Amino acid sequence: MSQGATINLKDQILNGIIKENTIFKLALSLCPSIAVTNNLKNGVLMGVAVLFVQVMVNLTISLLRNVIQPKVRLPIFMLVISGWVTVTDMSMAALVPDVYKQMGLYIQLIVAFASILARAEMFASKNKFIPSMADGIGMGIGFLFALTVISFFRELLGKGSLWGMHIVYTKPLLILILPAGGFFAVGILMALFNWIDARYMKKTSPVSH
Amino acid sequence: MSNEFIKLFELILSASLINNFVFTRFLGLCIFFGVSKKMETAVGMSITFTAVMMISAAMSWVIFNFIMVPLDITFLKIIVFIGIIAGLVQASDTIMRKITPGLYYKLGIYLALISTNCIILAVPLVNAGEKYSLLESLAFAFGSGIGFALALIIMASIREKLELADVPAPFKGLPMAFIVTGLIALAFTGFSGLITL
Amino acid sequence: MSVKKEHELIVSVSPHVRSEETTSRIMWTVSLALLPAALAGIYFFGLKALFITALCIVSSVVSERFYLKIVGKKSVVGDGSAFLTGLLLGMNMPASLWSFSPFTAHVPVIASFVAIVITKQLFGGLGFNVFNPALIGRAFALISWPKAMTIWNEPAAAFLAMDAKTTATPLGILKEEGVTRLIEVFGDKINLYTHLLTGNRAGSIGETSAVAILIGGLFLLYRGYITWHIPVSFLGTAAVIAWVFGGKGALFTGDPIVHLISGGMMLGAWFMATDYVTSPSIRKGQIIFGIGCGFLTMLIRLKGGYPEGVMFAILIMNCFAPLIDRGVRSRVFGAVKQVKAKENRK
Repeated sequence: MSQGATINLKDQILNGIIKENTIFKLALSLCPSIAVTNNLKNGVLMGVAVLFVQVMVNLTISLLRNVIQPKVRLPIFMLVISGWVTVTDMSMAALVPDVYKQMGLYIQLIVAFASILARAEMFASKNKFIPSMADGIGMGIGFLFALTVISFFRELLGKGSLWGMHIVYTKPLLILILPAGGFFAVGILMALFNWIDARYMKKTSPVSH
Repeated sequence: MSNEFIKLFELILSASLINNFVFTRFLGLCIFFGVSKKMETAVGMSITFTAVMMISAAMSWVIFNFIMVPLDITFLKIIVFIGIIAGLVQASDTIMRKITPGLYYKLGIYLALISTNCIILAVPLVNAGEKYSLLESLAFAFGSGIGFALALIIMASIREKLELADVPAPFKGLPMAFIVTGLIALAFTGFSGLITL
Repeated sequence: MSVKKEHELIVSVSPHVRSEETTSRIMWTVSLALLPAALAGIYFFGLKALFITALCIVSSVVSERFYLKIVGKKSVVGDGSAFLTGLLLGMNMPASLWSFSPFTAHVPVIASFVAIVITKQLFGGLGFNVFNPALIGRAFALISWPKAMTIWNEPAAAFLAMDAKTTATPLGILKEEGVTRLIEVFGDKINLYTHLLTGNRAGSIGETSAVAILIGGLFLLYRGYITWHIPVSFLGTAAVIAWVFGGKGALFTGDPIVHLISGGMMLGAWFMATDYVTSPSIRKGQIIFGIGCGFLTMLIRLKGGYPEGVMFAILIMNCFAPLIDRGVRSRVFGAVKQVKAKENRK
């Protein structure tokens, strides 16, 4: 029983990280993926913020799932999400004011993330407390992972530094920290994900057709 | 008076071209990539979007400045603005269906999409943050709407051309859309420094 | 053997692209037309200019071959389009890039790669690219290495000189210090014009000599490879705007000639904006395209953050080219449709 539950949880978490990766696979919530990822610190903090909101929203919805009337569920979901975003927004403003100055608007806009609403609607409103939490963690970590990868490359190549510390003393490819380069970076990483996926699928499941 | 007018004009120009929400602030990308596959949907979206944007900016401004500031509850702005937008979208959905079914048939589907768009929420938030006046808020909303429309229409015309092209398999679809957007953003870099607000 | 190869290629290309032989003839003719300007650049900027141009050409051709090999497409390097892109890119680079401390010789290589692979091949190869590859290559380089891309050598005294003095371009002086200072630098107005016309001034390798570019452009016009629509509307619009708004204070006091023969205006109008693939294909659309290029160029030159706007203007108009083509075309179709719809209603 407990064995089965853990495997399920693991699958649930992995699902969010790999199979349904919000950015690379589902292409949802793209805005922050480029906007804040011109350095690693912002990217990771944004990822953590989203992880937090996603988990808390999933938990809240899952707890309230028997109370919410189906007819008014969407407004309630939005209310829950914007409540948790406001909490995140205010705590980040207090805890990391320097980062908040650069990306405050984007933190506030977490509220409009399709992915968070989608998980609340599709998963948390139908499942129990623990699986919902696992789903939230998986989705959030998937998001965090994508933002970390993107911002890692953009800061390393664009500024020659990581987390604000200089690695090389030149700026190898300045364009990557600028808007245009952000689009290139995400496009190329997505294509890479597609390519790996296509290869991997071919090798492991020859029977699928 | 004329200075005021020039400032409004610059605000529109800056929001639409120089600091275009899509190309320099990366907002509204979900819809940008979602509805730019066909020119027809892009145009429909643009019209609906600009209209909703202006109305929601005006309503948010009024509520923010006349209710939330006096009551000192500005920290609730995220919740309130998203409520305004959701309510507005729902209301215009109902009104359009009753009054102009023809228009609703054409543009109704875009209305539902708009409520999840981040630009529509970003504009009132920026307006509140920058403490714009009502006219300035409207100018900013209008410029943002036009800028988004411009981006959508350019992108749709390019993607229609791309339909025929032999894009390498891993890049098909979204990755290529990103590359194209990057190239447009690169071209739009030329506008930088045109207006300093 | 070679006949068979050619035959295979003709079969493989899609109907949207002109047949292999014509494409390659166009490419090589345009390259030939660029020769005077390239030679002028090498004459003024010395061996460094030759090296940079050659580096761009080689990297472009290698990038194309490399990419085609990886994706397993048939090689079309022989059609000369990669050569032409490399040549154009090289002519848009400052000769000062040939420098090893600080090392900047990688700039042309990466720019060529971006031009060929990202701007052309990812879109499905020649005929489908939306943006002018050479210009994207240059814009990418300018934004990635803003310092290296704006070190301008003075036209060298000695051909073999490897360390030339650096100076500002005429447009740079115009932007920073105004027209009086510009005339002062070159002595008098006549001297300024002759320097700009012959190409004896700082700038990108192939853009300086207005006369040499004009020779190439007129050659293409005469041979029917380009039409007058884009260059004339481009240069005409720019000249009018320069005349009306280019002066200090009062209207109608600007100097259109300086604007026309400085910067990349000539090279852009004759060789960049006229690219078949990335400009509208209908005459009326081409005139709109040219006017847009001229307007945006002058907007950026007079009001923008960059001293030179030709590159960005053409790239921005590249974005609009499919739309212009569509607009010019669909207006005609639309009119017919409306009539039909009315008839149907009756």
